[in-house]
This record gives sequence, C-alpha cells and structure tokens, in this order.
Amino acid sequence: MMKYLIAEDEIDLQQSIVTYLQRDGNLCEVASNFDDASEKVALYDYDVIILDINLISGSGLEILKSIKKEKKDVGVIIISANNSLTDKLEGLDLGADDYITKPFHLAELNARINAVLRRGKYGGDELIEFNELKIDTRSRTAYIDGRDIALTKKEYDLLVFFLSNKGRVLSKEIIAEHLWGDNSDLLDNFDFIYVHINNLRKKLTAEGAKYIKTAYGSGYKFIED
Amino acid sequence: MEKKTRLIKKTSRTFLLTGLVLAVLSSIALYFYTKGLLQDQEEESLYSTEARVVNALKNDKTVLSFPPVTEIKKVQHIRPEILKDTIIYDPSQDEMEEFRELSTYEKINGQTYQITVRYLVVESKDILIAIVFSNIAIFVLAFLFLFYFNTKKNIKLWNPFFKNLEQMKKFSLSSNEELHLVDSDVLEFSELKEEILLLTSKVRNDYKNLKQFTEDVSHEMHTPLAIIQAKIDNIINEHSINKKQFDQVSSIQKHIQRLKHLNQRITILTKIDNNQFIRVEDVNITKILEEKIENFKELEIDYISLSSKNDLIASMDVYLADILINNLISNAIKHSSQEKKISIISENKTLVISNYGQKALQHPEKLFLRFYREVNSVQSSGLGLAIVKKICDLYNFDFSYNFSENQHSFSVVFK
Repeated sequence: MMKYLIAEDEIDLQQSIVTYLQRDGNLCEVASNFDDASEKVALYDYDVIILDINLISGSGLEILKSIKKEKKDVGVIIISANNSLTDKLEGLDLGADDYITKPFHLAELNARINAVLRRGKYGGDELIEFNELKIDTRSRTAYIDGRDIALTKKEYDLLVFFLSNKGRVLSKEIIAEHLWGDNSDLLDNFDFIYVHINNLRKKLTAEGAKYIKTAYGSGYKFIED
Repeated sequence: MEKKTRLIKKTSRTFLLTGLVLAVLSSIALYFYTKGLLQDQEEESLYSTEARVVNALKNDKTVLSFPPVTEIKKVQHIRPEILKDTIIYDPSQDEMEEFRELSTYEKINGQTYQITVRYLVVESKDILIAIVFSNIAIFVLAFLFLFYFNTKKNIKLWNPFFKNLEQMKKFSLSSNEELHLVDSDVLEFSELKEEILLLTSKVRNDYKNLKQFTEDVSHEMHTPLAIIQAKIDNIINEHSINKKQFDQVSSIQKHIQRLKHLNQRITILTKIDNNQFIRVEDVNITKILEEKIENFKELEIDYISLSSKNDLIASMDVYLADILINNLISNAIKHSSQEKKISIISENKTLVISNYGQKALQHPEKLFLRFYREVNSVQSSGLGLAIVKKICDLYNFDFSYNFSENQHSFSVVFK
C-alpha cells in the first residue's frame, strides 16, 4: 500500500484521481490549495506527491522547492495545464520525478506513479511481480516462472502499462496515447494496436499466463482469471 | 496599376512643364507685340521722311535721290499710295537686302512726283530676335533658380511626411518597438502623425488582446478537459456499462485528445508570435529526420526514404526544428494516397518532402492558412502547416509547395 498526496485545486479532478488510485488499495490524501498542501507536505510522509503547478494561492513549484530543501524522500509528479517546455524543464530541474500535462489519462498518471515508485528510492521495487510473471525494469526483461520471454520494445512497454493498471479497462485510445504520445493522432485507426497486443498475448499465453482480456469488444483489461 | 512617381519628382516635373509652356507662349506674344511695335515705328518714320521730301519739293528745294533710301521720279498720273516689303540689291554689301517701302504720288507745283522712301528692315529684325532671346534666357534662368529653390524647399517641407512614411514601413504588429514619428509645423502633417499613432496603437492593442485571449482560452481549456478525461476513465472502470456505451465513451476520449492536440498547436503558434523561442543554435536537421523516420517505423509507417549527401545544419530553436520536421512528415503521412511512399531529400540548405497524391491542391495559396483543409479528415488539426509556415517566417526560411508527377512537394530552404 502506498500513500499519496494529491495537491490539486480542481476538486472534480482531484476526486477523480483519488477514486482511480484508491482502487489499488492505496491511501490518498488531498490538498486543495497552496497552504493546505504546504502544511501536509511538512507534516506527513508520502510515497508520491501529485502536484499541480497552478494552485489557487501559490505555485506548486514553491512546494517542490521546500520538499527538496528538506531532502524529503518522496516522489513528485507535476501536473500542469501549461504545455510549455520551460515549465517542464524548470520542474524537472527542481527535482520533480515526472511531469504530465492536462488533460491526461488516469491510467497514464498511474503508470507514471508506478514508474517513479519503481525507481527504488521511494519505497518501490525495481521488480514487478504478478503471480508467475516477473519483470526486471532495470534490464527491461520479463520472465515467466524464471524463463525469460523475448518481447519487443513496444510489447514490453505494453506489458508494464497493463501491470500498472491491473484490473482497469484500457481503451485503444489510452494505449495508443501511452505508446506513441502525440504521434498517436497520426494513426488512421488503432488496428495495429491489435497486432502488438495479440503478439504480447500469444507470448504470454504460450507460457500459460492468460491475463490480457478483451473488455467491451474494443478495450483491454489485465486481470487474473 | 499605373506607374508610381515620386512626389518630389512629380511636382518638379509639373513645375518645369509649366515653365516651358510659359516661356514659349510669352516669347511668341512678345515676338508679335514687338514686331508690331517696330513696324509702326518704321511706318511712322517712312511717312515722316516722305512728308519732309514733299515739303522740300514744295519749297522748290532740290531733293536728291538716295537710292535705295529715297527716290523721286516724275510721273504722269497719280496713283494710290503703296506700303510694301521689297528686296533690293545693295551693291555696298553685295547682297540682297529687305526693305520696307512707301510709294506716294504727289502733285507739287503742277508736276506729279512719285516719292519712294525705304527703310532697311534687317536692323529691326535683329532687335526683335535679341528681345525674344533675352526673354527666353531670362525665363530659363529664373525657372532654373526657382526650380532648384522650390525642390529644396519641397524636400524640406515634406521631410516629416517622408520620415514618418519610412517609420510606417518598418511597423510590425508583433514587435513592441515604438514608432519614432516626426512632428511638423504643417497642420496636416501633424494631424497625420497623430492619426498614425492612434491607429497603430489601437491595432497593436487589438492584436495583443486577441493573442492574449487565444492564449487564455487554450490554457483555460486544459483543466476542464482534464476533468472530463478523468471522469471518463473512472466511468469505464467503476460502472458496468455495455459495449455500445463503451464505444461512445471511447469516442469521447478520442475527441478530447483532438482538442488537446489542437490546444497544443495553438499554444505553439501564440508562443512563436510572442517571440518566446529566442534560443538559436546549430541544429542538425538530418539527424532529426533520421530519428523521426525511426520513430515512425514503430507506428508501422516504414515507407519514408531519406536521401541526403551531407548533414543539413540550420540555426534555429531545437524544439521548433523538431516541430517543423514532425509537422512536415505528419502532413505527408496524413495526405498520402494509395501509393504509400514518402521521399525526403536534403541537399545543401534545402529540404524537400514529397508524398503521392491524386491531384494538385485546388487552392495552394490557402495551404498555410489556419484551419484550411481540402479534405475533411478528423485527424487533421488544420494547424500543422500553419505552424511550419510560422516557424519558417520566424527564421526567414523559404517555404513553398508544388505539385508535379502526382507528388505533393513541400520544400524548406534553411539559412
């Protein structure tokens, strides 16, 4: 179980994030303004803080500065409405672990949180384990019952994305956006996502890991039988 | 369009033409007036000489003939007097001379005389010519002086106008540089200056407001979009929905992405307008191209070929270079026809990206306008090429389109 702080002044967005993250049994605290966020950051320990840059009464970057000043062992993911490179660079320079621009998919946010946690520092593990499935994120290899399975780069990314969002329905749009980012709008259709997913599925199924399920006909879900 | 003449040249030309016409007309008038005057004078003198001759004859004094000036002949009959021009040989000068001649017939002391007096015309002709010539000379001198003086004065007078015109030519909407307009003691020029200042500041303000508005709108849209997106993500996961609902919700997600991309592009456009890309460095375009082609291969787009002899280096912002290349390739991918082949050729400072298409664009001149589309495609934001154009304008790169042999080609000439 991980403990998150969601510092976001838009209550609707804040609550949606909470709802999504809580499903994995994580503990989510919220802060709706600058003072609230500063106070909670100073008083409590979190694994990851999701920090909006534009908080009503102050800048999230200030909170980030104080976190880094006090050398707190916490992952920080910045949320910004501003898709500007300078903002991004400033945030990362100040020590943020990742940066995500509004609007984003909750599945994407969740994947980024997991990636930050896996980097080890913040109580996470570089290994992802799920029943007989094991992924070493450092060497980017996947194993089933100790046997390594050869995955392409995209198949590997896809598998990690699925594992970060276990039990969630992922539409093709979300997957395409995760795998190809802005370039995903170039695709006529998401048909070839099937290709990648099917290949991954076949490789897993061949080893007996039948976890990727179809949901609603066109979406996918990584779930235990 | 009519040929444009410079203001000073035009006024000078009018001035000179008027001068010429005046000089000619006045010379002609002077010529005839002086000629008439001289003729009257000659005739008066002829009559007076004749009267003296008659007087002398009456007093029975012997009057000698001095041909050709005076000739007295005895004749039988009285005839009416004749006043005419004649040409007589002058032995002293050995040439034919023109004379004005008056012949009268008088009966004096019972004897009829024909009295002929003549006046040498040459003299008066010389005077006439001298007068006309000096008139022309005076006119020309006066006009040259006036012309010089006038032009100098005009240039000085119009100086504020020309200076302000130069300033207006330099006026740019996007720059914040003040216009340095010159005031003048001429009321109209001063008024013109005030009006220019008023208009330019208004135009700039409007432009700034519009830019700010676009920026704000696109910025403010991010948060509501993020909320919609997040709620949809939760709907999919929390509620049991049917397939039809899922498809519709997925479609909403797709269009949220569209809005997101649209917003990103508008933001780039406004940032370029706001001169927020000031970092200029040597960017290896060829390297970016290779990376992009590699990236697109992951999207199953493996029909892009690159041919380049040596690395193309451009001085620009590296982020904008990336957008430029990305938009050009994306555009080629989106509008590829059945024959899927995109060729990229880089040579010296020129980059040409071509893709196959059915026919030439109907309105290539509108190609770089925002939101101009010739095919209605959901994928196209209508801003990709507008951004490319904007980037090229920023760095004075030449960006052009042409269609030949069923291929749409876009070329950028870097600097």
